[in-house]
Amino acid sequence: MQAEQDQYSFQIVKWFAYMATVYLVIGTGIGVYIASELAWPVLNFDNPYISFGRLRPLHTNTVIFAFGGSTLMATAFYIVQRTSGVRLWSDKLAWFTFWGWNLVILGFAITLPLGLTQSKEYAEMEWPLDILLAVVWLSYTFNFIMTLSIRKVSHIYVANWFFLAMMIMITYLHVINSLALPVDLFKSYSIFAGVQDAMIQWWWGHNAVGFFLTAGFLGIMYYFVPKQANRPIYSYRLSVIHFWALTFGYVWLGAHHLQYTALPDWTGSLGAAISLAMIIPSWGGAINGLFTLSGAWDKLRTDYILRFLIVSLAFYAMSTFEGPVMASKTVNALSHYTDWTIGHVHAGALGWVAMVSIGAIYHMVERLWGTTMYSIKLVNLHFWMATVGTAVYITAMWVSGIMQGLMWRAYDDYGNLAYTFVESVAQMHPYYAMRAVGGLIFFSGACVMLFNVTVTIRRAIANPSAKMAVAANI
Amino acid sequence: MTKLQEYFHTDWSGMTGTDWFGFLLTVFVFIVMVVVYFWVLNPKNKDSLESHRSMLIDEDERKSEKQDGR
Repeated sequence: MQAEQDQYSFQIVKWFAYMATVYLVIGTGIGVYIASELAWPVLNFDNPYISFGRLRPLHTNTVIFAFGGSTLMATAFYIVQRTSGVRLWSDKLAWFTFWGWNLVILGFAITLPLGLTQSKEYAEMEWPLDILLAVVWLSYTFNFIMTLSIRKVSHIYVANWFFLAMMIMITYLHVINSLALPVDLFKSYSIFAGVQDAMIQWWWGHNAVGFFLTAGFLGIMYYFVPKQANRPIYSYRLSVIHFWALTFGYVWLGAHHLQYTALPDWTGSLGAAISLAMIIPSWGGAINGLFTLSGAWDKLRTDYILRFLIVSLAFYAMSTFEGPVMASKTVNALSHYTDWTIGHVHAGALGWVAMVSIGAIYHMVERLWGTTMYSIKLVNLHFWMATVGTAVYITAMWVSGIMQGLMWRAYDDYGNLAYTFVESVAQMHPYYAMRAVGGLIFFSGACVMLFNVTVTIRRAIANPSAKMAVAANI
Repeated sequence: MTKLQEYFHTDWSGMTGTDWFGFLLTVFVFIVMVVVYFWVLNPKNKDSLESHRSMLIDEDERKSEKQDGR
């Protein structure tokens, strides 16, 4: 255990993993609050700083960059060291990444509630923070690549390929999408305009999902599912095909966010066609992860951490089927601008991204601190809260969204709209309340996790035990 | 010109340098991807690729032997 701590740079991984757990609580907590604001608008308190419009980007940035980013940095630094058999290339650079990343988080936590925003979805930060984010992201990428370059193992494990694709593509996407003309320290204007701006925005927006929230987390899946199950990956060849198909295909999809707009019709059709084709690699990857358990499904009865990882794959398969269906023009005519999109996003964000991250963090906590979780019962409780919370949330949004779409396009015999917009809003109330409850259940599970992880770490530090290290199979 | 021909009609003379770069890069990457598929799915390469399946499990065993004396 000690030898391994010396062999690898695990301190940085520990900090990123713990901060990811903290940010999960904060990010989902803000989410529950803004969901409640939509159900009960009185919660805005006529205070602009906590109004939905300002807290919503704070929620998305916290869960994507703070929670998701910290998880990706913890896992990438952990996996690249273990699969390469070497320490990180530079500890100092890794700590620069850690503090820089947290500075970005602090920056948007202050500026977004103040209303300082570029108004680009998932890229709301103003230009100084965009530049800081790019520098920190490059430091993370450079350290990762340099660690691979000094590896003692000839083969680069497939998980690292997914991380690399994410790092390269996010650098490219973030820089291009954030190109802007600053007029002062906190105000800038995008260099793109009109439909080009919309296209660049959704080229970034969908690839933030495709590379940041999918490719990176598939890297996590390809390492932690076989590790936790103690089984070899089902098919390595399938993982190679999965990687190349996903990397080639994802960059085409952004246009499906702009169906029936000023964007040329063929662009949306192309986006929809490639979206449908993406079901194949996505399901190939999900099947590869799920079939890793072939012959060992009984492990799910007793291994609660494995449950998170496997259920996340079920949600991944589900949302990567749902997304292409929604991208098709026929379905998009109903679903666009409705809550169905919110339900779809959260099926992916809560069911896939958060679940696979949670499984990976539990796995790492046990190994990094050479211990076992303080309470397996609490891990189990968290699993059910996360699963039920996600199910309640997405069900509410599906029903709400389809109802919205149907109401908006209903006509009477004379060609007049059958419902006013306000009538459709009034009909949403029960589903908005139900969504807040689902989110609250998920958030409560995250609090349980933070408690369990904190107590586990404190106990491990207070009572270091070689026996426990062996038990953790390090 | 049929409707289908009209749909797929391209004004090649209107292509800019950026259009040609993007077009050729896309076709090149697509061809590379097809080559990768053939390479990966070629039965001759099955054993060498699948030998990496158990890389993670092997790594754990090596570490256990080295550090825990097992």
